[in-house]
Amino acid sequence: MLKFVKAPLTAGFFVNFIKKSSLKKLLLLLLLFPILGLAQQKYTLSGTVLEQSTGESLIGVSVLIPELKTGTTTNEYGFYSITIPEGTYEVTISYLGFADITETIDLNQDIRKDYRLEESSESLDEVIIEAQNDRLDVRTPQMSVNTVKVQTIKQIPVVLGESDVIKSILLLPGVTSAGEAASGFNVRGGAVDQNLILLDEATIFNSSHLFGLFSVFNPDAIKDVKLYKGGIPARYGGRVSSVLEIFQKEGNSQKFTGNGGIGAVTSRLLLEGPLEKNRGAFLFGGRASYAHLFTPLFDIDNRAYFYDINTKLNYRLNERNNIFLSGYFGRDLFSISESFVNTYGNAVVNFRWNHIFSDKLFSNLSLIYSDYFYGLELDFVGFEWDSGIQNFNLKYDLKHYINDKLQVNYGLNNIYYIFNPGNIKPNNPDSGIVEEQLIKKYANEFAAYVDAEHEITENLSIQLGLRLSHFIRFGQDEINVYADNNPVEFDPLLLIYREAEPIDVVESSRSDQLASFTNFEPRVSMSYTFNENTSVKASYTRLSQYLHLLSNTSSPTPLDVWTPSGPFVEPQLLDQYAIGFFKNIKEGDFSLEVEGFYKDIQNRIDYIDGAELIANDAIEQVILNGEARAYGAEFLFRKNEGQLTGWLAYTWSKSEQRTPPRNEGEIGINSGEWYATPFDKRHDISLYANYELNKKWSFNTNFIYQTGQPTNYPIGQFEFQGLVIPYYGLRNVERLPDFHRMDISATLKPKQKEGRRWQGEWVFSIYNVYNRRNAAAINFRRNQDTGVNEAVRTSIFGIIPSVTYNFKF
Amino acid sequence: MLLSGVALLSSCEDVIEVAVPSEEPRLIIDAMVRVDTTQAITTVRVKVSETASFFDEPQPVTLEQITLAGAILLEETPGSGIYSREVSTSQLMREELFLAIDYNDQIFAAFTDFAPAVPIDNLSQGPGGLIDDETELVIGFTDIPDSENFYLLDFDLNEFVTTRDQFYEGQEFEFSFFYDDKLEPGTELEISLMGATSDFYQYMEKLLEQSDDDLGVFDTPAVTVRGNILNASDIETISDLSDANLETNFPLGYFAVVQEYKQTIVIQ
Repeated sequence: MLKFVKAPLTAGFFVNFIKKSSLKKLLLLLLLFPILGLAQQKYTLSGTVLEQSTGESLIGVSVLIPELKTGTTTNEYGFYSITIPEGTYEVTISYLGFADITETIDLNQDIRKDYRLEESSESLDEVIIEAQNDRLDVRTPQMSVNTVKVQTIKQIPVVLGESDVIKSILLLPGVTSAGEAASGFNVRGGAVDQNLILLDEATIFNSSHLFGLFSVFNPDAIKDVKLYKGGIPARYGGRVSSVLEIFQKEGNSQKFTGNGGIGAVTSRLLLEGPLEKNRGAFLFGGRASYAHLFTPLFDIDNRAYFYDINTKLNYRLNERNNIFLSGYFGRDLFSISESFVNTYGNAVVNFRWNHIFSDKLFSNLSLIYSDYFYGLELDFVGFEWDSGIQNFNLKYDLKHYINDKLQVNYGLNNIYYIFNPGNIKPNNPDSGIVEEQLIKKYANEFAAYVDAEHEITENLSIQLGLRLSHFIRFGQDEINVYADNNPVEFDPLLLIYREAEPIDVVESSRSDQLASFTNFEPRVSMSYTFNENTSVKASYTRLSQYLHLLSNTSSPTPLDVWTPSGPFVEPQLLDQYAIGFFKNIKEGDFSLEVEGFYKDIQNRIDYIDGAELIANDAIEQVILNGEARAYGAEFLFRKNEGQLTGWLAYTWSKSEQRTPPRNEGEIGINSGEWYATPFDKRHDISLYANYELNKKWSFNTNFIYQTGQPTNYPIGQFEFQGLVIPYYGLRNVERLPDFHRMDISATLKPKQKEGRRWQGEWVFSIYNVYNRRNAAAINFRRNQDTGVNEAVRTSIFGIIPSVTYNFKF
Repeated sequence: MLLSGVALLSSCEDVIEVAVPSEEPRLIIDAMVRVDTTQAITTVRVKVSETASFFDEPQPVTLEQITLAGAILLEETPGSGIYSREVSTSQLMREELFLAIDYNDQIFAAFTDFAPAVPIDNLSQGPGGLIDDETELVIGFTDIPDSENFYLLDFDLNEFVTTRDQFYEGQEFEFSFFYDDKLEPGTELEISLMGATSDFYQYMEKLLEQSDDDLGVFDTPAVTVRGNILNASDIETISDLSDANLETNFPLGYFAVVQEYKQTIVIQ
């Protein structure tokens, strides 16, 4: 409304007007103007934005009405809706890497309009240096979010040339990991299990292949990657640190195409095509590593490989209804002479139905099943083991585009979980192992949310959200009862925590509630825009997390099991505060983002010394409730346009946790003092640059510098029965040497042969160019040959050159 | 092993110079008494020394007095820090065994229970390791039925394994142990199967974890492993331990009395 009044004023209209009219007339007009405005009819422009060549819907495309200085962006399904007063407007549809569409719309009724954008490089012969609008959105209250284009992920030089979503996001400010080969990632000082990783809205429980060397996402099958580090909208919940949202491509509804690649680690092939032109498409992608990765190293019968399968079907029933079926299946398999066999991975099936109730009300219903499986067979001990987690997820989300100033999202989500902490059985009749099923656990997580984004004045926008989450831990076969309800005993003389003996064991039915938790999670973000290019934003986020990954190592292993909150395990609760400054420079050719954050997590679990986390039926006996906190500042400078693009990110941060004594006389963990988390890095600099020399050649480089990870040096040693045991003071007070590394790659695109669809591309890359031996760990041990104690540095990757061939047809 | 297998893909190790911190010397008491119950007399032997920084050797110490299960132990050779005494085996097969040490005007004390074991049913050499033909031993024993049991296996060459009967209660159980390397043929190894109390089992688990040198990424937190021996010097009364300095003033090591079954094997 206000914008409508002001638009003509700022256009210089006002100045001329004063000269011509009396003050009285002006006052009258000003009073009348809003009324006229109110009386004026408003109409809605809505529709979908698709990619011309493939029919793929595009996420985050700007739909702008320059005249009104307003606009919107397409949602996760490519849908947009904007409600503005009647009139004739220029509408600009813009998206990075695509040619803009600008057209005049005569808005005198509600209009449904779908747009198809064409990739700019395909439409123009010359290298694109022309400014495209991928401006940082300074106006929206949403902050602390980073998007990485799949194109960029594919260009970033990585180990052995295997493009990797997770290794790419590690180059963003505020994102670290516990080392080069560590699994997962850490956001703003949070733990790996505090990231909600969604693949087409389904939860992925383990994002790593080969213990963390590679991630489970096949970049060919991915459309968009978005990481929320703070200011997390109310539609997300269940993990306290971040949301990594990944959407799979829908498939080409125009024509049958394929792409793939042959690399040092894997080969990939992805096929897509129409089920019915312009209405439906399929996508099928597979990626597999070579089965004998280790053969060159050991002359033995072994296998170590992984594979992923991504599938998606979509069908537009009509203008208002779209259905999608997506699936993911990935496994790692590791075996040595059949006497050691290890298999693990995720599986996901997801059915979705987009329904457009009206041009202002978009809905999506999702039915999702996902699971994580871990299996191990050890022939030399004579057993088989499997464990895992399954969940059934129902989601219903609505997006209500009330007018161009107000959008309200609301919805429901219900997840039912089954936890299998482990099943053990003999693998042969002679084995002494007795079959046993560890007690399965059951839980339900329900959430309802509402989230409103409102432009209060032209300069001030606010996003207000509230999520109500409710978690029920259901009954299980057996649960222990402890004296004073205390499962962890403390020895006041020896100062050791140990497992308390249960005083009773009770059975409960699957419909009983052992514990339930309700949390209100308010979310507030606001932005104040000084001008089109500059804004400040602030946000507050509360999140609760009901699942915990039981992991006592500096980086999680695939064997780690998830456990639900319950009678002895409280949900983790986070409060995060963030402020930021955002600026587009030179029409968005450059952008600058500076953010500061503080976060505090209650009920972060910690483990008593020597805790056994695997095959433990009474995990409550080995864990204590602690807390965690992190704070820091992030700086991100991007160059978005031109032959040279890329970014420079710098993060200063601190991440700590502590487990104080529960009462007087106890000592807590680490004497109750705060200690650095294994992924705490004071300074973290990443530079990424992409240089498009010409149509044939492009070059990429990364440079990373990080403060060394926390580590421990022994304060002494002792011997017991001939064993040499180092012993330590307070945790994590020393640091590994600083980490730095540079990677480069060059991409060669040979000219496409006339009349042939096949297009190839060579990627030559060198990881760790100057062959720095970065320490992954320093271990202290006695050399068994010399009998002398020594400090041993382990470094993981030296210089690694590789070649990958990619193709599409 | 699984993890180190992956690490071999491209990792490498080298010895580096590190300046390590140090603290005031601390008393170390290695009082693990192995008992062969077929013998009437057992030689009890306790080794005492003081800690040094990681790169310096612990030094033996001389005690004012040490008693174990009521018997006063005597230093074998002066300055060796090794105290011993022959005692009647039946005297050790009890609960609430007591160790007391008087050193530097400090009093150290510990209690432990005798931990029973079972004989080794079979011990043989297996076909060899998975990765590099490491020497493999196959060992079998029958778990004590109807009770929760903990065992400690000593495979010689400073190689220990802990195990509990969680998944083989009362069963004949057999598994393979792999050494780090292929041992020279003709090497004679003495293999022991010992009992352990629940607390001692956990102590040994932690000890083995701390002395292990696996790839750092999957390390468990570095801690000081506290044993069951108490520095009781500053304890006025058991009901108020606030001035007892227990958090800083503690010895390292453990007092355990375990039944032991031994067999020897010569590597082929």
